[in-house]
Amino acid sequence: MSERLAISRRSLLAAIGVGGALLAVPACRSAADESTKASGTAKKGGTLKIAQSADIAPATLFGQNNPNFTLARTVFNTLTQYDHKTLSPKPSLAESWTQTADGKSITLKLRKGVTFHSGRAFTSADVRFALENLTKDTTASQLKHVALAISKITEVDAHTITLDLAHPVSNLFDLFEILLIVDKESIDDLLKGTKIIGTGPFKVASYTPGTGYELKRNTSYWKKGAPLLDAVEVSVVGQSASMVSSLRSGGTHLLVDVAPLDAASIKSDDQFEVTVSDAHDSGFYIASNVNVKPLDDKRVRQAVAWAVDRDRVLSQVLGGIGTVTSLPWATSSPAYDKTKAAHYTRDLTTAKALIKAAGADGKTVKVVYNAGLATNAKIAEIVQYDLTQIGLKAQAEPLQAADFLAKLQAGTLPGLFINGHGFGQLHPATLVKGAFPFNADKNASNFDSAKYRELADQLWQATTDTAAKEAADAVNDLLLEEQFVSDLVASSHTFTITKKVQGLSWTMYDYLDLDQTSIG
Amino acid sequence: MLRYALRRVPSALLVLLVASVLVFGVLRLAPGDPAVVLAGPDASAATVAHVRAALGLDSALPVQYWTWLTGLFTGDLGTSFILGAPITTLIGHGLGNTLELTTAALVLALLGGGVAGVLLGTARHKGVRALLGGAVNLALAVPPYVTGVLLVLLFAVTFRVLPASGHESLLADPVIGVQYLLLPALCLALPTGAVLARFLAAALRKSGQEDYVRTGHGKGLTERRLLTRYTLPGALPSVITVLGIQIGQLLGGAIVVEAVFAWPGIGQLLLQAVLGRDYLLVQDLLLFAVGVFVVLQTLTDLVQAGLDPRVRIGGGV
Repeated sequence: MSERLAISRRSLLAAIGVGGALLAVPACRSAADESTKASGTAKKGGTLKIAQSADIAPATLFGQNNPNFTLARTVFNTLTQYDHKTLSPKPSLAESWTQTADGKSITLKLRKGVTFHSGRAFTSADVRFALENLTKDTTASQLKHVALAISKITEVDAHTITLDLAHPVSNLFDLFEILLIVDKESIDDLLKGTKIIGTGPFKVASYTPGTGYELKRNTSYWKKGAPLLDAVEVSVVGQSASMVSSLRSGGTHLLVDVAPLDAASIKSDDQFEVTVSDAHDSGFYIASNVNVKPLDDKRVRQAVAWAVDRDRVLSQVLGGIGTVTSLPWATSSPAYDKTKAAHYTRDLTTAKALIKAAGADGKTVKVVYNAGLATNAKIAEIVQYDLTQIGLKAQAEPLQAADFLAKLQAGTLPGLFINGHGFGQLHPATLVKGAFPFNADKNASNFDSAKYRELADQLWQATTDTAAKEAADAVNDLLLEEQFVSDLVASSHTFTITKKVQGLSWTMYDYLDLDQTSIG
Repeated sequence: MLRYALRRVPSALLVLLVASVLVFGVLRLAPGDPAVVLAGPDASAATVAHVRAALGLDSALPVQYWTWLTGLFTGDLGTSFILGAPITTLIGHGLGNTLELTTAALVLALLGGGVAGVLLGTARHKGVRALLGGAVNLALAVPPYVTGVLLVLLFAVTFRVLPASGHESLLADPVIGVQYLLLPALCLALPTGAVLARFLAAALRKSGQEDYVRTGHGKGLTERRLLTRYTLPGALPSVITVLGIQIGQLLGGAIVVEAVFAWPGIGQLLLQAVLGRDYLLVQDLLLFAVGVFVVLQTLTDLVQAGLDPRVRIGGGV
């Protein structure tokens, strides 16, 4: 006997028909196809689609902040731009410069014929404004100390400016590399993100906070023939796995800083390429709050440095991107010393002996990390295991991002902490005077040393390469000895792209430079 | 009916006031400082202090609460600490997208859940019931973040017929917009549809046992007429109560789905705001969410009262 259903076959078929029609929608015009079509096939033109994990933060454009990597050099220009191989500054908005022999004054000749996106001409007044803005109390920048060392600014004429310094400043060009020339007439709007005006290759067409922004070609760009792209679309995609799916589906051409292990999953696919930045501006470290026992004893800190398996961190967490190291410098840095960088390797015998000598056997040590960063969580797991091997009771503890940052800034993290740092790639003075984990004047570890401050100042005010090298060597010795920060891996930011993307470039601060980028 | 509705107003306002105190207090108890987030990881203590003062966070907590509350009464929701944009603009933009997503999900859930529920509640074939029951249980058991990833792998990566993530306004480009909408809406609709299906099936079975339905059978009414005129209307009040709660669940579930599909809605906004300790934005969003729940619950009560006079006469549930 056949069973009867309350719903008729006709109704059921109608329902299936509606469902089928919904699924057939893509057949009309496909969003998946549109993404690919939008890129075009010509060398010139097309829209580059970028995904990044966090929204831009216009108020932090004056220092280095990772979410701004896609905005800083696409909408703005800097005074100079480092050559990646020689680390010598190359002209950008400053065409040439002359520095006095004592290193206490520099005169910059500025490029003529440059206009802001608003149509206003760029002059030396804009450089003065950018420098003075950096010295404001409310402006945060890792290079603020350099701006504060400028004692006098003289606008010689519309395209010449002289900066007098309170003392020689060895990392002056690190400032010029990071200092974005913003439109002084719309600075308040820039901070709010409502009007973002620079002199760069692209104009901001729209910005939706929390969602992303769109750029269109600046047809009046001062660099002839650039940019090649018509437009750039940047979307905020919070989940790393979703970013990868977006790339694989053809909806995105470029991912900024996808999680290393997700990037590793793409490496084997010949449609994509994980581009590792040669700036090597991403160090991973474990640091100590030296006010917390038993980390107040440098032997315990040294033991931690001997115990951690850096090779495992590199291979299992960072997908092999980077090199193991004991010091914060990238290989490009003048302070890099191959022998000293290899000082700490995994040596459990030495580590145990140091723990015993310090009377720290069986002591509890917290290992905290930013729970929002999967990479740091994985490093913390390795560190926890390694420390238990040398007799410490290590407890890995995740903290929410805002909590971690607040405690980091206040120097109240409860023991060891895992984090990342930049600024190991350029002049070493920038790291010891500007990067908070290493800042000799005030750092997250509460490490306070007159000798360190003195060495940092020597490094900062060195007028010759020899003097800078001597100071850098002494800083290296101090860092290896004190171990308030133990570097683990000198890694890099990554740009994961479809192979259609060509001519991708970036600055030594990893700001995307899309002047010559095209989509094949 | 009007009197019944008016009786609901004071308790709704009290809920909102208590919620405002709780939201404000709990958020300030949570560790973290938006000034540090805003100033950046390498900012000095002096810079952070200036940023904190600029945000008004150096005032006493009662002053901050009062400033926020009076702002709400004058329609000024404030400015996001981290994003720098007016909160009315942010909520307006995000709300439109979330409503688009939840409405689509609700329609899919009602269609799917309704059909599945009726089939499950009326089918006499054991195999059909087992198959439908299994499908409904599966849709209920698999969390949206898993469903989302599976849908993306299938439709966006393997077959490339739908985009993996992102958003296009339905008003600006309906054909493309609906394609961006399909996967997240389906992902969000599945658990809600499954809940509705189960409740509808149970209510239909219960309603089918009523005397008036048996009388209908005795009078020789067709199955369809019995279903549409008697069994289904009898089952609807309890399903509507569940539906009211489920709409709230849809809004909650949207947080996860929006994260998986990078859908720029309220959920994403709230997630970013909580992580960045964007106090004002979180406060406004949570209070707004409480308001939505209060309104939904009140509307559910009113619809129930309309459908069932006993509720109205008895003074409500």
